[in-house]
Amino acid sequence: MIEFVNVVKKYNHDVKALDDINLKIEKGEFAFLVGPSGSGKSTFLKLMIREEEATSGKILIDGKDVGKIKQKEIPYLRRKIGFVFQDFRLLYDRTVAENIAFALRIIEASEREIRSQTKSVLEMVGLSGKENYYPNQLSGGEQQRVALARALATKPPIIIADEPTGNLDPSTADEIFKTLLEINARGTTILIVTHARDIVNRLNKRVIALDHGKIVKDEERGGY
Amino acid sequence: MTTRTYLIKEGYENLKKHGGKTVSTMLIICATMLVLGIFIILLQNVNKNVETVRLQQGLQALIEDTATAEEKEYMMDKIKNIEHVKDVEYLDKNMAYEDAKELFKDQEYFLEGLENVNIFPESFVVTFNDIEYGDEIKSQVEKIDGIYKVKYDESTIQAVIALSKIANVFLLGIGAVLLVVSIFIISNTIKLAVYSNKREIFIMRYIGATNKFIKMPFIIEGTIMGILSAIISFIVISLAYVVLYARLPQIGSSLGVFGFMPYSTLWYQILIAYVVLGLFIGIFGSAISIKKYLKV
Repeated sequence: MIEFVNVVKKYNHDVKALDDINLKIEKGEFAFLVGPSGSGKSTFLKLMIREEEATSGKILIDGKDVGKIKQKEIPYLRRKIGFVFQDFRLLYDRTVAENIAFALRIIEASEREIRSQTKSVLEMVGLSGKENYYPNQLSGGEQQRVALARALATKPPIIIADEPTGNLDPSTADEIFKTLLEINARGTTILIVTHARDIVNRLNKRVIALDHGKIVKDEERGGY
Repeated sequence: MTTRTYLIKEGYENLKKHGGKTVSTMLIICATMLVLGIFIILLQNVNKNVETVRLQQGLQALIEDTATAEEKEYMMDKIKNIEHVKDVEYLDKNMAYEDAKELFKDQEYFLEGLENVNIFPESFVVTFNDIEYGDEIKSQVEKIDGIYKVKYDESTIQAVIALSKIANVFLLGIGAVLLVVSIFIISNTIKLAVYSNKREIFIMRYIGATNKFIKMPFIIEGTIMGILSAIISFIVISLAYVVLYARLPQIGSSLGVFGFMPYSTLWYQILIAYVVLGLFIGIFGSAISIKKYLKV
């Protein structure tokens, strides 16, 4: 589903943000990407969605070479990847349902699809009944669930989450991970960038550790 | 709701969201359009009057008193055969006197006692197809035997033509300046709209919105501003002209030959100019900003 082959990413002055990365994340896998700040995690995610381009090497998403797709095909690549941010990135002047409908409108879903899909993803993340709330009326954990529901709404085969629990207290963070595991159980590939050491150790999932742009650890059932 | 309807709605929502800025932008565009409208109206009126002058203008060839009827006929034929001459009319002494009476109707004492000793010469009134050939025709008429003088006031005509040419160039210049100003204003408003929608744009990009989807609401926002400004300007200028037109003929007659066109012959030109202009500055103005500030 996600494959990096000899990927190098250099910024100015030949600073290597990623250095010869080789890895494969299979369909339906759940993996953590860990590492200290500046280790290359964000660059890794940016390369996946073609926000940045690799200096050399090949990145395959669902079998497609990300480096070779045309500019106008980038949106369609991004539709395969649901992105969840640390700060939720919700639209605060729109209700929960409107935030989700916003994503569905972008992929040009029909009104009927928008209604049914909004209902279904809100159920999935446990927010049924909160359709008409504005994000400011929700707790941090609930807001992240809305962001998760929005990422799921377009039915992407991959979800990547960048520090999804960074702004949340531990018990709320636990709930978010529980939801992510449920989503994964339905077949969605999930890659999470996190510093939540406890949760990583507890969940006993694949852990890929980056440091200075290199993979320093890749364990099937690893810890932080 | 189809995607197209949604994008139009988003463009409209953007307009509402940036209410104050939208209103001030439209006010400035309306002001520039009104100035442009006034120039168009003035120019159309000038052009129409110049055209009238062109069509009416001619020369008067005075005939020697000694000329016989045959000679007059011969002269008339000669004039008629000159290229670009439209018509030749013979004016006998009585007609000349009547013309003079008409000319001095407020100062009739000038003509007192002249009824029986008609001092006014016979003449040919020559009209042209094209005023450009006035000088040429004049010199040819002068050469005809029996014509002792040719009255042709080319300086006024040439001045009117020159004035209309200057006015045309001036309008073109003003139009270009106003166009640039309007485009700049719209593009600036759209730039601010892009900044204030940064969050939406960021999310859209990550979700996988196409460039068209992201750009369209801004283009629609600019276009609505352009079209609305055009409609408002059209209503204002129409009302103003209709109200002023009632007074304009008097102003016109006091200026001499000048007459103003009725609005029924002008409105569609103004409307077309405004709508085309509104569309152009709306689309072009927003497109510039999007290209510059919206990296998608």
